[in-house]
Amino acid sequence: MNNPNNDQTSETNWLREFKYIWVIGLVATALIVIVPVVLAVRPEPAPADDPWAGVPKAKPATDHSALLKGPFETGSDVTLACLNCHADAAFEVMQTNHWTWQAPPVEVEWRAEPVSTGKANVLNNFCIGIQSNWTGCTRCHAGYGWDGPDFFATATAEQVDCLVCHDQSGQYVKASAGMPAEGVDLVLAAQSVGRPTRINCGSCHFNGGGGDAVKHGDLDETLYFPDEQLDVHMGRYDFQCVDCHRTDDHNIAGRSISVSVDNANQIACTDCHSATPHADTRVNAHTDTVACQTCHIPAAARREPTKMVWDWSTAGQDWPEDEHKYLKIKGSFIYEGNIVPSYDWYAGTAKRYLLGDPIDPSGVTKINDPIGDITDPQAKIWPFKIHTARQIYDAVNNYLLVPKTVGEGGYWTMFDWDLAAQLGSEQTGLDYSGEYGFTETVMYWPITHMVAPAEQALRCTDCHSANGRLDWGALGYPGDPMQWGGRDTTAVASK
Amino acid sequence: MLRTISHRLHLWLGLAGAVLVGLAALLPSALPAAAQTGGSPLHPTFPLLDADGANVLDSGQPVSTMTTCGACHDTEFIAAHSFHADVGLASYGAPGFQPWDTSPGLFGRWDPLAYRYLSPEGDERLDLTTAAWLQVFGRYHVGGGPAVRDRSGASLTDPADGRPLVETHIVDPDTGELVPWDWDKSGVVEMNCFLCHLQAPNNEARVAALEAGEFAWANTATLAGTGIVEQVGGVWRWNRAAFTETGELAQDYVTLQDPGAENCGQCHGLAHTDNQTPLVLDGCETDAWTTATTGQVFSPQVMLNSGTNLAGKASLNRSFDIHAERAVECVNCHYALNNPVYYRKAEDSELEHLVFDPRRIDLGEYLYRPLHEFAKGSSAQSALAPEFDDTLRRCESCHDAAVGHGWLPYRERHVEALGCETCHIPTLYGAARQATDWTVLTPQGTARTECRGIAPGGEPGAGDLFTGFSPVLLPRKDADGALTLAPHNLITTWFWVYGDPARPVPLRDLQAAWFDGAGYHPDVLAAFDADGDGTLADDELVLDSEAKVALIAARLEAQGLDTPRIEGEVRPYTISHNVTSGEWAIRDCTTCHSNESRLVSRVLLAEHTPGGVMPGFVSGSNLAISGELIAEDGALYYAPRHNSDELKLYVFGHDSVLWVDALGAVMFLGVVAGVTAHSGLRYIAARRWKARHGEVAYRREYMYSVYERQWHWLQTVVILLLLFTGLVIHKPHIFGMFSFRGVVLVHNVLAAILVINAALAAFYHLASGEIRQYLPEPHGFFGQAFAQALYYLRGIFRGEPHPFEKSPRRKMNPLQQVTYLVILNILLPLQMITGVLIWGAQTWPNVAAKLGGLSVLAPFHTLIAWSFAAFIVMHVYLTTTERTPLTGIKSMVTGWSEIEVHGSPEEA
Repeated sequence: MNNPNNDQTSETNWLREFKYIWVIGLVATALIVIVPVVLAVRPEPAPADDPWAGVPKAKPATDHSALLKGPFETGSDVTLACLNCHADAAFEVMQTNHWTWQAPPVEVEWRAEPVSTGKANVLNNFCIGIQSNWTGCTRCHAGYGWDGPDFFATATAEQVDCLVCHDQSGQYVKASAGMPAEGVDLVLAAQSVGRPTRINCGSCHFNGGGGDAVKHGDLDETLYFPDEQLDVHMGRYDFQCVDCHRTDDHNIAGRSISVSVDNANQIACTDCHSATPHADTRVNAHTDTVACQTCHIPAAARREPTKMVWDWSTAGQDWPEDEHKYLKIKGSFIYEGNIVPSYDWYAGTAKRYLLGDPIDPSGVTKINDPIGDITDPQAKIWPFKIHTARQIYDAVNNYLLVPKTVGEGGYWTMFDWDLAAQLGSEQTGLDYSGEYGFTETVMYWPITHMVAPAEQALRCTDCHSANGRLDWGALGYPGDPMQWGGRDTTAVASK
Repeated sequence: MLRTISHRLHLWLGLAGAVLVGLAALLPSALPAAAQTGGSPLHPTFPLLDADGANVLDSGQPVSTMTTCGACHDTEFIAAHSFHADVGLASYGAPGFQPWDTSPGLFGRWDPLAYRYLSPEGDERLDLTTAAWLQVFGRYHVGGGPAVRDRSGASLTDPADGRPLVETHIVDPDTGELVPWDWDKSGVVEMNCFLCHLQAPNNEARVAALEAGEFAWANTATLAGTGIVEQVGGVWRWNRAAFTETGELAQDYVTLQDPGAENCGQCHGLAHTDNQTPLVLDGCETDAWTTATTGQVFSPQVMLNSGTNLAGKASLNRSFDIHAERAVECVNCHYALNNPVYYRKAEDSELEHLVFDPRRIDLGEYLYRPLHEFAKGSSAQSALAPEFDDTLRRCESCHDAAVGHGWLPYRERHVEALGCETCHIPTLYGAARQATDWTVLTPQGTARTECRGIAPGGEPGAGDLFTGFSPVLLPRKDADGALTLAPHNLITTWFWVYGDPARPVPLRDLQAAWFDGAGYHPDVLAAFDADGDGTLADDELVLDSEAKVALIAARLEAQGLDTPRIEGEVRPYTISHNVTSGEWAIRDCTTCHSNESRLVSRVLLAEHTPGGVMPGFVSGSNLAISGELIAEDGALYYAPRHNSDELKLYVFGHDSVLWVDALGAVMFLGVVAGVTAHSGLRYIAARRWKARHGEVAYRREYMYSVYERQWHWLQTVVILLLLFTGLVIHKPHIFGMFSFRGVVLVHNVLAAILVINAALAAFYHLASGEIRQYLPEPHGFFGQAFAQALYYLRGIFRGEPHPFEKSPRRKMNPLQQVTYLVILNILLPLQMITGVLIWGAQTWPNVAAKLGGLSVLAPFHTLIAWSFAAFIVMHVYLTTTERTPLTGIKSMVTGWSEIEVHGSPEEA
């Protein structure tokens, strides 16, 4: 402290400078405190990616109960009421695959001419095909009254079914040709409308193939109210389908090689997640080669068994019935649960069997053969449910047939394959020789739902061990790539 | 994929017309097995030769690995350089763990679990001769060594002239008579290449052949089930279809490979590497020796996916062993020592500037003569081949502890004091043996046993519940001589010995003492069967009275055993596997840093102490056991000690020195009591002398500069927080709401602030000359100090003025001066120095060690902290002796003091 001669003067000086010195003192104190703290406390590194950035924020639904008083006689009455305010909605829907059931033609590598496919014109190895069976299949069409080949020639906007996706009353059910089932309270349904939930989508998609859990292996009614072990997105975070299957103008993103031949408007894990989200670089090194689903969906059909084998050839017998083993109208089945998927290369599209394509009846016909192999830099190892069937084909012309099963003269009432083949072929336009047989077919169902919590993901030795899941030889590797090296990924790196 | 699908379909279709009911049940079992194990991609085909070098297809003789594999590999070299084959034969006569051990290896070392004992030559009463040893212990032996040669090194099939009985005879288990053993008939067991190098060796058939005494066929039996050979009607027949026309094994049957975990597991412990099959543990009794002794299970399987009844299984989302999970095989760490891929020179033989020495044998040479001495650690239970101790890749050979432990305060100190395994093997989920009581025999004729980590199953059919157990931490001498705590299992065994020198009582004699025919001897039953139900339950099978001990001793004596008596041993088993990643490792500081520290928590060793005999730790292990054995209520415990002379750990949050805390508390409470009494008296006196109070004149004076105040208050806050955080670190269990780790970090940061603040203040006081304030004047000091003391003792109560007038030049009275001199120039620096040394114990351990280590520094630090606490009470109290009780504190805030005006101002 300075020590001038006159104490009074000194104090006055001090007072005059007081504030300034006070600030310096405070800053010095702060520095003494802050510097050690900053040196000691290092901030946590920021997370590499933020998946929530990709998740849409849903707007709260408008309460329609005051807006839609009814009464509504038919589904179309409701649609007309909707169109009063949402004038474009029906026309938007009519552009989408949920209405057309047939995508516009696209160029494909495996065929000279452009291909246009959809539920309307392909066949599968479950209920086979909708042609000649419209009223049964179009229960799940987002429209009213598709009961024959000429539906689209006359269909109008009021035939769009708004309720099947937007009903939240829980009592809206569709019946033959997609008409509202008897007893449905249309007013209640109309007043309840909101953002589509898993229940709306699931009413059709969880019941593909004619019942719960039949078709996909990764979509079934357990996803209505899943726990997090079954599906981390829907269970832990209550995701709705449309959180990932994002929708523009009623066009819902997401494609499946069961009907689609192109990969546009597809969705992927990387829409929200980083392509290399793992802390361990060794794990990240897998992501060019292995689909996220391969490790993060350790087993498919984890809660409900799914149909793995369907043999139509045994139908028509008076054997004891059990919907998981044998039905007279459909033949014999094998269901399996908690299945370890089959793994194969897959670049996002499949070579699809089209109506009239020749087959080798003694061999196995792949209805949708996933495209990709170890040399294709776009291809990754994917998990699949493989559904095997024996289904009817024309024994002279050697192609698969669409039999008529539903309705008058159909197999499900007459149990007459010849008649069913004849009636079905009248609608498909294929020549039916009058001789039929049963041949083996397979369909590939990529497993992509039922993502397990990260802790349940596969670990190293699930594949990299003597009894691992992957058949390295079948995948084209000389041996376990952990020991013998992976595929050349330079092409991937430079893409 | 397609192949399997169509296979399944065709099968199904074939059955479709048949009865449908039950069809689905049939299918799963009929599904094709996972990929058929094909032939080895690398190993060429070869003929199987017998010992004479003839093709076994022609001779029908057992396969000889020495000639078959010896066609390309130097099998003589391999067998001669393998402690797996030798198992102690070469060091026969060297000490083991017990006085009667004849070697440090399996051949000669008494195993308290198996009990059976290899009798040395010359013993009158024999337990196991060499042939019997092969029948009993051959299951844990790869062949070669003592299965081929006698104790002098000659071939067992050589003429038997002059050989001791233990090499040429065997005790007939039925009669107890010594009968000759025909080595020519039984043959010998060559080192069994197939056992370790075949994808699916048949160990069961091998063990069966050994137990049957068909030694020559044991290696052939290892091939059973591969399709190469089969046993029909007790006769082994080679399957011609498995061979090529030229008599070589067809490529598909050549399934040779690097040893996998399951190969090693056949003898060492439970290895389950197949993720597709749930791992089911059941019960505690197992032939898997390492699993039985330690609870270790080598499996990549995630526990909640396993088939084992584990407590809290739903949350056990970790694998049994992270290395197994990450596809690390046994041989990746326990490699052949001349394997050029792994081979490293010993560090002390390496030139400092050489990072890599490229001169190593090439693969061809290695394949011809692969050393079968494998890199090993130095487990407490293993005394064999000490020359190879710590040759293996230890944790730190692959992992850098400096990476990934950023969260851990005092990382270096932790790494120095603790083995990685201590935190990274927090719990063993397999059951392990706890105690074995061979002084009694169960109705099955074997010992009464106790196990850890397992509880009887509650639900019928659920099996035993695996609860897991925390291993005991014992100080282990590492390769570099340092002592670190590492996880172990302790197995206590009681048994009868007889004679001089002592030998364990042969099982045959023990059984004769306990049993009479099929059941217990009536005398035994009468003495032990407390509930009279005619059989002896586990809790009745205890030698808990002198009468019972005497009865069994007498019955043993009747067998001709000299002075039978009970001995007990405690044997440590090192646990190095079942490692887990950081996520599952011990991260909770209070596991050790708390009053219930794991480091000292008692471990139950046995529920009974048979015959009241206190066991001792076996000698010869690499442990520095510092704890003690405690018998209490019939049970036996081990109480670990971490602050032994050798280990000298001081664990914050757990350790404290009683007299330091007592003295500190007395000092602190004394001051509190003193100031309470003093203030009470002042209050009473002030009321009495109120009238005089007004007579004293005061003047305002600017006493404390901005910097002095800023320095003072920062110091105040920091010291108070330091005292508090220090208290939390000292007794964390009282302050459970605080994170120990967080408080340690805060304490260190505060200390840094204190040091900076104090250093700046010291500079300020020295530079400005203000330091003089603290220096008492020598002249008249005692008189003045006495006057000041007298004032506090008497004058203050009479309302007398302070003896010395405060002024900016003399802010402190003589008592304050001497107090602050001590506080600021002695206590504070000492506290800083001890604090820095404690903090620096990880960086400069030698400095701290020279000053007595943490166990001196830490209590010292505590004692000074107590002094500070006491000082602060006194200091704050004395500030109330100015005009009003708050005047002093206010002056330190504003800088302005109110000072008694004395008649004659003191001259400083």
